[in-house]
Amino acid sequence: MDAVASAVDLPRPVTLTIPPEPPPRLSEDDLRLARACAGGDSDVFASIYDRHGERMKSIAYNQLGNVSDAEDAVQETFLKVHRAASSYNGEAAFTTWLYRILINTCYDMLRKRSRRIREAPIDDLIAGGRAANAVDDVKRMALRKLLNELPEQRRTVFALFEIEGLSHAEIAGILDITEGNSKWILFSTKKQLQEKWKSS
Amino acid sequence: MTITCNQLDDLLLEGDRFSLEVAARHAQSCDACMQKLAGWNEISDTARDLHATWNNDLLWPRIEKAIRNEHRGTRTRVWQVAAALLLLAALGATAWIAQRRMHAADFDETILKASAVDEVERAEKAHIAAINHLESIAAAKLEQPSTPLLVSYKDKLMMLDDAIAQCQTAIDHNRQNAYLRTQLLTMYSEKQRTLQDVLREGNHASNQ
Repeated sequence: MDAVASAVDLPRPVTLTIPPEPPPRLSEDDLRLARACAGGDSDVFASIYDRHGERMKSIAYNQLGNVSDAEDAVQETFLKVHRAASSYNGEAAFTTWLYRILINTCYDMLRKRSRRIREAPIDDLIAGGRAANAVDDVKRMALRKLLNELPEQRRTVFALFEIEGLSHAEIAGILDITEGNSKWILFSTKKQLQEKWKSS
Repeated sequence: MTITCNQLDDLLLEGDRFSLEVAARHAQSCDACMQKLAGWNEISDTARDLHATWNNDLLWPRIEKAIRNEHRGTRTRVWQVAAALLLLAALGATAWIAQRRMHAADFDETILKASAVDEVERAEKAHIAAINHLESIAAAKLEQPSTPLLVSYKDKLMMLDDAIAQCQTAIDHNRQNAYLRTQLLTMYSEKQRTLQDVLREGNHASNQ
């Protein structure tokens, strides 16, 4: 990102947000992966966990608001993958399918526990890999509060794109919406957040 | 590429690298758009900080164990279903064999019943033949009865013959009706006694 900023010679306060490229789809590999999951192949599950575990935990954490629930959601997602892998038909990429199950599991848990994320204690110490300072902490808490007030779908699109760095194509696949829809939801959500951001 | 402030939203909606570069270039010459873009990017920067990371070495072993347990449970369920199907097949086969045996027993019983009836009919025919022989002996005395008692016997025998004929018709429709056969036997016995009485009365009358 710094390289891009210097290439266009931007002033310091302005930074660019560059969405990552979507990963290539390998249907045959995905089908093989799903078959292995259906067969309960522990090594395959371990490799999926190694590749996606961290992001899955972060997605679940930002949906559910605490570590314990997030870990439960990730575990439940793996169990659902094991149960449903035999019916996986390769229509969506395996990763897309995996994240879709995770998001739906988080939604289910939120509804089942009748607990709103804004009411749950947020452990901000684990959030962010950067060296925290007081200003950043205030900003993060303010943004998290604003996110918690958003409807489910808007919060998810924002989190997947801005927090987890997924592309609109991937988000569209996960949430079963169009790419254009994903762009529009993100844009309108950010506009909404910007308005509240200014007033907060 | 030159844009106006009104087009900034379109570029932010598009959100790709090129659109954001154009927006940034425009913002350099427009304070209002510069502020707007700065706020826009500040949200994105803060959002990236919300990516959560933590280590829990126990999480993967926990997930692995849960998957293993579930897989074992699934396999056990498959075996249970297979065992249930096998049991069902065995029960079905047993029931089928039992039913076949029952059918065979019914068939044997029918055959036995039929042969018992045949035996009864053979005995009846012999009995009737004997009575008919007796009747042929007594016929001469009944053709011209010499006493009022013989006349009375003749009437009685005619009535018995009618009754026997009716009973025989009924038996032809229901061969296995034991009651009708008993009735028939009684009537033939009565006829036999009557014929004996006719012969006795005939001898007595001729002696006088």
